Amino acid sequence: MTDAIVTPLTQALAEGKLTREDLKSFMHRSDAPAFRRLAIWLLVLVATTTLITLAWDSWLIWPAMFLHGIVLVHHFSLQHECVHYTVFRTRWLNDLAGQICGLIIILPHRFFRYEHCDHHTYTQTTGDDPEMIPLPQTIGAYLWYLSAVPYWRSKFTELFRHAFGRLSPGELRFIPQVEHAAVYRDARMMLTIYGLLFLGSVITGWSGLIWYWIIPLFLGEPVMRFIRMTEHVGRPTVPQMSENTRTNLVSAPWRFLCWNMNYHAEHHYVASVPFHALPRLHDKLKDHIYVEPGGYLAAHRDILRQILRGPGPAQD
Amino acid sequence: MANEKPWRDIIAVSALEKGWVTRVDIGPRKLAIYDTPSGIFASLALCNHGGADLCDGYFDGHVIECPLHQGAFDVRDGMPVGAPATKPMRVFETRVTKGMVQVRM
Repeated sequence: MTDAIVTPLTQALAEGKLTREDLKSFMHRSDAPAFRRLAIWLLVLVATTTLITLAWDSWLIWPAMFLHGIVLVHHFSLQHECVHYTVFRTRWLNDLAGQICGLIIILPHRFFRYEHCDHHTYTQTTGDDPEMIPLPQTIGAYLWYLSAVPYWRSKFTELFRHAFGRLSPGELRFIPQVEHAAVYRDARMMLTIYGLLFLGSVITGWSGLIWYWIIPLFLGEPVMRFIRMTEHVGRPTVPQMSENTRTNLVSAPWRFLCWNMNYHAEHHYVASVPFHALPRLHDKLKDHIYVEPGGYLAAHRDILRQILRGPGPAQD
Repeated sequence: MANEKPWRDIIAVSALEKGWVTRVDIGPRKLAIYDTPSGIFASLALCNHGGADLCDGYFDGHVIECPLHQGAFDVRDGMPVGAPATKPMRVFETRVTKGMVQVRM
């Protein structure tokens, strides 16, 4: 029999950064923290939705939609946690919440799960990591990425490709044969649901879908692009988790919105640890990972410095 | 029956991690021994999806979750219960005799 593959977790255990008892304690799951956070999450959504309603007849509707959009795009963070089954102890609740988030942000849950598996296997490995965002070579390319236009183009292309029953060569590598039909079905169901929603909107004459969902989603996505860049972009393209991933120390509201995914290096070390235990895992691993104490903005200053410096061997 | 594989002593019950999964090396084979609410079960220790060691994963009731991608299996019959696990994992018939976990292998 072959040996187990070496993962960041096996390395951390072997090097004594974590003990087995630590690991068991950190991995402990419970539904309660997720329900508590979701209750506040819903209140935040009600608040930002109300702001749009209050600003309906003025220019203030645009900042209100932007604010609402920032919350909407953070359903990605919740969906990401659901992919790892680390939101709820009850497994099917993760599937349900992940599907709902996927519908909100137009990201089929099953497909994302398979894609994300390879991201964890090949983190920052050029050509193998399907979620890798390369370091932009120019300020123009940096701004173009942040516009979210390339992101949406890629996501819509993906969705329609799957709905038409096709997978790209890259996708064929990480989606097992037995799941191809299910991925196609998911994309078709998603497009059907959107079609029915918009048909209902046209028939009833209610334009709320546009003002409460679509425009805010597109206004907010650049913020999610900005955040996602801070996770790996500009870190060395090497397999070592202590080097290739950035943990960003951010304020409580951002930690709430991103379900503690700012503790990104910790998450990559032990992906089975639920969101609520990541701050404790950070205390344990903080001396063994790359931490950006200045948060998202400092991470972008680092990225911009590297872009302005131009191609070179050093990325840290 | 003549073709049945023999029972082998694997580990003392008292040495198992209670309510959790314990790794045992038997020659070149790595086994995962599960202490569950309905008894003790055994499987190969490496995930058949990505090859990670299931014994470092999260264990809850009868479900073992791979630490690398969180694919999951029911340890009673080896059936996959969560993507990206899609194939059954290999499980072994298990019993307890005189305080020892025995596996037919």
